Amino acid sequence: MDGYRGILVYCEIKSGKVIENSLELLGEALRLKEKLKHRPEVSALLIGENVQQYIDTVQGYGAEKIITFENDKLKLYRPDYYSEVLTKIIQKYKPEIVLTGATLQGEEIGPCTAKKLNTGMAAHCVEFKVLSDDTFVQVVPAFGGKVLGDIICPNFRPQMASVKAGLMKKAEYNKNNKAVIENYCDEIVGFGDKIEIMEITETSRERKILNKSDLIVGGGFGIGNKNVWRKLETLANALGGAVGCTRPALDEKWTEFEETMIGTSGVAVSPKIYLDIGVSGATQHTCGIKDSGIIISVNKDENAPIFEVSDYKVVEDGEKIIDALMLVTFQKCTFED
Amino acid sequence: MRVSYSKIGGLRMTLNIAVCIKPVPDSRYYNKIIIDPKTKCVNRDEIETVINAMDKNAVEAAIKLKEKNGGKITIFSMAPDNAVKNLRKVLAMGADEAYLCSDKALGGSDTLVTSYVLAKAIQKTGNYDVIILGNQSEDGGTAQVPSQLGEWLNIPHFVNVKSLELEVNKIVAETKTENGSIKFKVRLPALFGVIKDINEPRIPNVMGVLKAKNKPLTIFRATDLDLDEGKIGLKGSPTQVGEIFSPDMKRKSQKIEGAIDEIAEKIIEVIKRAGIGL
Amino acid sequence: MFEFFNEDQKMLRNVIREFVEQEVAPNAAKWDAENTCPVELWPKLGEMGLLGIFVSQQYGGAGLGITERAIVLEEVARHSAGLALAMMTHDLGVAAIYNFGTEVQKKTYLPNLIAGKTVGGLSVTEATGGSDIRNQATTIKKIENGYILNGRKIFITNSHIANVNVITGTSGINEKGRKVLSAILVPPETEGLSAGRKENKLGLRGSVTGDVILKNAKVTSDCLIGQEGKGSNIALHTIGHFGRSGMSAIALGILRGCVEESVKFSSERIIYGKPLSKLPAIQDIIAENEIDYEAAHAMLYNATTVYDRDGLAINRIAATKYFCTEAAVRSAKRTMDLMGGWGVMDEYPVGRFLRDSLASLPSGGTSNIMKVIVAGSVINSYK
Repeated sequence: MDGYRGILVYCEIKSGKVIENSLELLGEALRLKEKLKHRPEVSALLIGENVQQYIDTVQGYGAEKIITFENDKLKLYRPDYYSEVLTKIIQKYKPEIVLTGATLQGEEIGPCTAKKLNTGMAAHCVEFKVLSDDTFVQVVPAFGGKVLGDIICPNFRPQMASVKAGLMKKAEYNKNNKAVIENYCDEIVGFGDKIEIMEITETSRERKILNKSDLIVGGGFGIGNKNVWRKLETLANALGGAVGCTRPALDEKWTEFEETMIGTSGVAVSPKIYLDIGVSGATQHTCGIKDSGIIISVNKDENAPIFEVSDYKVVEDGEKIIDALMLVTFQKCTFED
Repeated sequence: MRVSYSKIGGLRMTLNIAVCIKPVPDSRYYNKIIIDPKTKCVNRDEIETVINAMDKNAVEAAIKLKEKNGGKITIFSMAPDNAVKNLRKVLAMGADEAYLCSDKALGGSDTLVTSYVLAKAIQKTGNYDVIILGNQSEDGGTAQVPSQLGEWLNIPHFVNVKSLELEVNKIVAETKTENGSIKFKVRLPALFGVIKDINEPRIPNVMGVLKAKNKPLTIFRATDLDLDEGKIGLKGSPTQVGEIFSPDMKRKSQKIEGAIDEIAEKIIEVIKRAGIGL
Repeated sequence: MFEFFNEDQKMLRNVIREFVEQEVAPNAAKWDAENTCPVELWPKLGEMGLLGIFVSQQYGGAGLGITERAIVLEEVARHSAGLALAMMTHDLGVAAIYNFGTEVQKKTYLPNLIAGKTVGGLSVTEATGGSDIRNQATTIKKIENGYILNGRKIFITNSHIANVNVITGTSGINEKGRKVLSAILVPPETEGLSAGRKENKLGLRGSVTGDVILKNAKVTSDCLIGQEGKGSNIALHTIGHFGRSGMSAIALGILRGCVEESVKFSSERIIYGKPLSKLPAIQDIIAENEIDYEAAHAMLYNATTVYDRDGLAINRIAATKYFCTEAAVRSAKRTMDLMGGWGVMDEYPVGRFLRDSLASLPSGGTSNIMKVIVAGSVINSYK
């Protein structure tokens, strides 16, 4: 509380660049700065072996101060080393708010650092709010996203939060921004030689299996023809999800994968998101999706029964929506690999 | 960890394994969940609880290590008294002993406090070589307890683990990254948060069910664990819950309207808010 | 509903249901359509402890009773009554050996049967005698160091997959001139034992039923189960307790299936702008389904609990078998009525429920025979 000022954004580096998620958080930090009466400074933290090369990017996207911590021990990601650095920097700079991406790395070092600092962290926030008394509110989902809760951390500092990619907005890149740069290269201890990095592998995306997918795009008779079906498959791929079908779609031979038929005589699925397009909503199909987290349905027919079991209703031509979704996905969404 | 000589295999390490599990509301009954707008509490008592899915993967990982290397599996959980039935099921899967930390004073605890309580229970009951947890729970999904527990115990810890192999007194853990994996070799004791990719959890068989009731199951109250009163429950939790939105779980068929590109953007927004990385 | 299950029985039902949902439910329709018995599941069933659950632990069983066995069969039959029949029949072979066999026979055959490494069968019925059980044509002749069997059994479940067969046949005539039966265990790989024609059943497909042929099948004298001439006691005890409680449990699974499917369908199907379940006529059907299930459930588990306590419950179980199987037929037909056109489509399991319940009527004794048994016992008790 006393002496804690500023917003620190941990800028994660992957495949030779700062991830979009972190740049989005910088943008959000700047927005929070305007909302908080005392207008705290926005800093970015870069950790690694040679991070000077990323200063321009982070500066251009709005960091007012850039803190670098370089050490050859940090060349490859190791949770103990990275969290030790994050902790040290927070202890030195005492930011009131710390933001990290809800990436696999952020999910590891974030809570670990929160424990080291004996403070609170809200994970996978979907939104931040600032109340009239300057209270910083972190909105988090629970029960698969059906419930949203406001989290506050009134008595402990810093207030830490992680956010998934794509939820916040980057600021406009400005090459004229000038940030204050502070560099560190202290010794790091971590768990020392108790941990060894053996091997790092990179794999390409595999075809998504229906019952292991968090997102499924379901297609029905309303898709109309094989060409539009292909578009639907491409969309599912772009969204990183699996494809499901109804009996009529299978009978039309738009897809050959019988095991992707969802319904009474097919499989039952329960993904976080079920996006169905051109599905009428016969009970034989809907009983296979009723345990899904959120159901978004697109159908030309205002009275299609599918809407009775949907969370979101879109009365539009399926192909048009598929095209528009492809556009948004490629424009706005980020491919970190 | 004890070292013993086996006539057949030579040097053998038997492992002392701890697994932490959390009972969560059965997602099939999510539409029965009511959140009291005043106390912010979920009516958990009325909903059937099941073992959090990833925790089953954790138990299975522990059993596989025990089957290969020998040892003992102890289960820990911080939950209300009725979690006893969930713990019996884990004992039926093949765990050896269970401890339930249950006390009204623990209500409202956030992840920092939960990991503190689990750490105290673990430290009180023995020296463990490996501690395994499910990466995250179906209901809260913060994925924070494993890392924070590792910190309280001051041992190396990893999350998003998709495989575990024991090599004498070290474990090789493969963690999943956005575009592949990293293999770490870590000296024990260590802690791992595992994901579904790691295995297919077994269903307890008849003999397992029969043996479960004779396996020791102890309930720890707050006083048994020598907890710092100020550090537990709602009071001790740095994060507090404020307003809760959409407590009504029924599907509302909310219309998304506008120009085609606006609709598409809104759909993407919903997808992202559900936590799907795009 | 029977409300006096202990904690173990409740947890058992819970884990068995999980297993069934994973391994049985997705395949039930396929097994029915293809008329195949998934004998490849036997080792898994053995590992789960679902075979011979009533056998004591010294022979590899769980040491429980026919109550737990009924729980297993009810849960399996909820999705595949056919597979449940195959498992039930396997258990008949197990029960005959367990209740009447010598120590050596039990130690030799039970462990593998319980582990699912061998498949059991009980062959009693013949063309000359089903209800008339003593009128068997199969002969069991004593020879040097053993017996030789000749004959043909019909309507035998597991005919083509059982390798440990318990067979009954005539071994002599008593002083009244009536045939006397003995029971013989025919070990795996015995020459002269083969399966004949395979039946194409109306229901309970998911099990294989057919002829078992014995042509000069020779076994050693240690293959006699119980005493010579006591074969009909063994057959009636086994079928009367294990067979009929098993069939009742299978019918119970079907009954529960009917309740669940009728509620689900009527909640989701909208007609005249409202769910079907709002209509009084539909509620009538659902109520009758539920009441039949409640009564059958209480009757069965009460009967099995009595057997597990006392070791005897033939009349009670006969009454139960009659009630449960007839109730399953009524319930399945009602559920099909509720579903209208959808009831006769393969998309839904209810048509299979009806066929399975009809096929369960004559298995273990016809409804008429059950009533003969019940009448005989109650008239006797008032003497």
